[in-house]
Amino acid sequence: MKSRYRRILSAVLSTVVLIGGGALILGQRVNAAGEGKITGSVKLNGAAPHMKGIDMSKDPYCAKAHATDPGHLETVVAGANGGLENVVLYISDGLSGSALTDVPTAVPVFDQKNCVYTPHVLAMDIGQKFKVVTSDQTAHNIHPNPNPMTGNIPWNQSQPPGAPPVEKSWKAAEVIPVQCNIHPWMHGWFVVVKGPYATTDSSGAYTINNVPPGSYTVTAWQEEYGTQTQKVTVAGGQSATADFTFKAK
Amino acid sequence: MGMIKQSRVGPKFSFATSVVTAALMLTILMLSASQRANALPAFARKYGLRCSACHESWPMLNYFGQKFKDNGYQLMNDRDAPIWQNPGYWPVTFRITPIWHRVSTGKVDIDTYSGGVLSGSAIQRVTSSGFDLSGLDFHTGGTLEKNFSFYVLPSSDPTASFHFETVMARLDNLFGSSWLNVKLGKFELDNLLSEKRILTLTANGGIYQLYHFIPAGDGNIFGQMGDNQLGVEVLGHSYDDRTRYSAALLSSNDGQVELSYGNAYTGFVTFSQAFDTGKAGVQRIGAYAMVGEAPTTWLTTGGALFTGANGTGPAAIGNKSFSREGFVGQFYFGQHADLTVVTQHGQDSAWFGQGYGDLIDGIVTNNNTTGTVLPAGSQAPTWNGVLFEPHYVYSPQLIFIGRYETIRMSQQADGPGSAVPSASNLGNISTYTIGYRYNPFMTSRAGFAWHNEYNWLHSDGTGPNGANINTSELLLGFDFDF
Amino acid sequence: MRRTLRKWSPFIAAAAVFALAPALSAQLTQYDLEPRSGMESHIGNITGHAKDAKADYRRFCVGCHGELGDGNGENFPWLDPKPRDFQLGIFKCRSTPTGTLPTDEDLSNTLARGLDRSNMPQWSNLTKQQRADLVAWVKHFSPRWVSEKPGTPIQIPAEPEVTPERIKAGRDVFAKVQCWKCHGVEGKADGPSAATLTDDQGRPILAFNFTEGARPKCGSTDQDLYKIFMTGLDGTPMPSFADNIKPDEAWDLVFYLKALEPQKSKEKAIAKQLGLKPVDPNAPPPSGQ
Repeated sequence: MKSRYRRILSAVLSTVVLIGGGALILGQRVNAAGEGKITGSVKLNGAAPHMKGIDMSKDPYCAKAHATDPGHLETVVAGANGGLENVVLYISDGLSGSALTDVPTAVPVFDQKNCVYTPHVLAMDIGQKFKVVTSDQTAHNIHPNPNPMTGNIPWNQSQPPGAPPVEKSWKAAEVIPVQCNIHPWMHGWFVVVKGPYATTDSSGAYTINNVPPGSYTVTAWQEEYGTQTQKVTVAGGQSATADFTFKAK
Repeated sequence: MGMIKQSRVGPKFSFATSVVTAALMLTILMLSASQRANALPAFARKYGLRCSACHESWPMLNYFGQKFKDNGYQLMNDRDAPIWQNPGYWPVTFRITPIWHRVSTGKVDIDTYSGGVLSGSAIQRVTSSGFDLSGLDFHTGGTLEKNFSFYVLPSSDPTASFHFETVMARLDNLFGSSWLNVKLGKFELDNLLSEKRILTLTANGGIYQLYHFIPAGDGNIFGQMGDNQLGVEVLGHSYDDRTRYSAALLSSNDGQVELSYGNAYTGFVTFSQAFDTGKAGVQRIGAYAMVGEAPTTWLTTGGALFTGANGTGPAAIGNKSFSREGFVGQFYFGQHADLTVVTQHGQDSAWFGQGYGDLIDGIVTNNNTTGTVLPAGSQAPTWNGVLFEPHYVYSPQLIFIGRYETIRMSQQADGPGSAVPSASNLGNISTYTIGYRYNPFMTSRAGFAWHNEYNWLHSDGTGPNGANINTSELLLGFDFDF
Repeated sequence: MRRTLRKWSPFIAAAAVFALAPALSAQLTQYDLEPRSGMESHIGNITGHAKDAKADYRRFCVGCHGELGDGNGENFPWLDPKPRDFQLGIFKCRSTPTGTLPTDEDLSNTLARGLDRSNMPQWSNLTKQQRADLVAWVKHFSPRWVSEKPGTPIQIPAEPEVTPERIKAGRDVFAKVQCWKCHGVEGKADGPSAATLTDDQGRPILAFNFTEGARPKCGSTDQDLYKIFMTGLDGTPMPSFADNIKPDEAWDLVFYLKALEPQKSKEKAIAKQLGLKPVDPNAPPPSGQ
């Protein structure tokens, strides 16, 4: 019973990873029978652009938190080997049935920590609950700004120190900028997609789980460089590979 | 007397040609004009509102414009002071009205010739037509600072001879209350139906006869509600402008600047209340009263002392009284139709009735000197009048205007006991006006109206030899402001 | 799981990325709006009909808000703050939680009250019916009024008696949720974040200065103040504090805010008597609740 074994293995793996707090596959469903996955890496071709430093002196709390590790923009975050972090990968074409419509029950977390967003990019499924928390001893306001024409409605909530989490979800696929008006440098993204997704880790690696066998178009989204697509075919229980390379500008 | 004397009597005038011309011009205009439409451009520019926001049709105010004016030309959004405007903003509006008109007057005394030689005169109808210009107005008004407002209107006649039509400063919202505002200067009286904002332009139709009526032969230089007057006014209104009042103390000299050795004052008070009638709109009813005295004697021209002055003047001379009072109603029938009704009961002192008092042009025509007595049978001329003005507002850019006014004498100065009693209808007036104004475009930068109007006026017994006079006028033109 | 808008391809989302601040300007045309012209509003016992407001909208509103209600009238370039884009269905002044549609009454109140320090006049002398009709017309510009219901108005408990304790407690709330970050410790809109505030369209926007005697945009009654910070002013940096201020504390904050205002008030007199000092921005933040 190979598939059962794999299922159990996947379940165990998933649990391990969840416990490990790996943000990349948070929110993925437990693997179902016969489902495969898409893995790969996203790299930057060329030298990573210089990320401007952030002057946090307006808020002493933020400045102190970054006394030894000055804050900087996170528009392009590339590792030593050229791996691009914060790239969202999702299946933009080919999905159908429950793979398309099932909504993960995991609740990804968007933290306001040391006056930056952790993670900088939070991917999620349509309708999936996510949580915004604050670890800071300074007041933030969490202000996503989607286009209401899509069906996603902007909102704006305060999160002073000790504030309870804000739990929300989105109605439509959209790349939604998030900002804190109190700390204008705080800028992040909610990437709302339909179906399975993954976000690259610091080495640029990703794994999209719970992909039923079939042919798909995988899209990689990076906030500065936009999107790229690739066609992949996933065989039952197998892993397909799709590597992406964005050219540095 | 100004208005009536000049009343021209109209022919049964052939409309056809004019109507065809008008229609043709209008069509051309409509074809050439863009369809984006918008009023006093100085205010419109300041606030970014289209003319139509404040004007039913420029220059007539709607209830929103009335509120703006009542607030001292302020929207009351704390951005009224000029400090908030772009430095390039200058609150000036020019208004000019080039027209073509055709005037037909019955019973005019004209020269007659026989064999090329002046032989005498005859009374007959005169019809003349041509292009004309109404003059030029420079409107400037607004706020100097929050709750300090002003309005200055130098106005020229067609020969560029200027006078100050309006010069007025206002203190608004005193003690933080919309109920207390003060106006000082030369300004228009708080007539709900404003003559300065009249939608018609002809000689007789471009004024409200009711606001200027003086019986035939009457010498009262004042009592002209339609003219801007010099004085001070206290006015106020509720937050939503539903309730309004004003009380003004005026110099009785018809707005003439420079003191003319006379001391006479007039009071003018108004009150009105509006009601919310749902779909129909805002209905307003009100009342006004003008009660005052005007001089009939002048120290510099051989007149006797004023009443009371030095305590020596005989009772028969000096300042004499007059009054005008009536009701006003403004009724809306939904968003397209409305009707304004004004009534008037007026009375002048018998002295005015006998022609004493006229110094409007600086020339004493009838001085009330010591020892003068009123002729036997003299009585205070008294009259009643009513005005109906319906509008049909097709859109903010097109308005149809109608008006009917009639004034009937109820008591003549020369009563039944006089040597020559006046006919009971002497000086009665009936007039109607119809017209439309079309703004081919409307923006908040400039206003432009194509204007077409016809007026007919009938006056009893004021022509040569006591004839009735009928005057008519057809007018086509542009009214524009920028 | 509501997944009503499934037809939206993620490509659309991806495309949105290319505009870093997504262009929120709406693209609806007259043709799109037409089907919604039967929109109604219900305010008290008055029913407003969108179609009946057509003439009034053209007369009063169109110069700024535009034929299509997108805030792109001919005066758009000259106005600051910019006119509201009705197609987005996002409104500052609501009695409903952040991210929800306002009630018809909220919109009618805004019409009557006007928006202080903007070009939006007070339309208080229109009839209630006219305002109801205009509200329906305003709603017809946005598809949101078809797909969503207005939010449930927040509950405002009865206003308690002002006491010195409550004003002091209000000051603590002001410190705890850090209103001063934008509004300044004295309410002069000079907080450290005040200079960089922008609205949802990225245009600079000012924090409210409590000390000038100006009327807050969304009303100046005690209930209005309560609503402002408990619902947030959507489209602006002002967030909702509903999760972080308890209803009773909210009244304390209202009283403290009134003490910051120059107008004579009981609150101001008490604060003066107490010798209440502005909050200290450098004080360690109060421990979480």
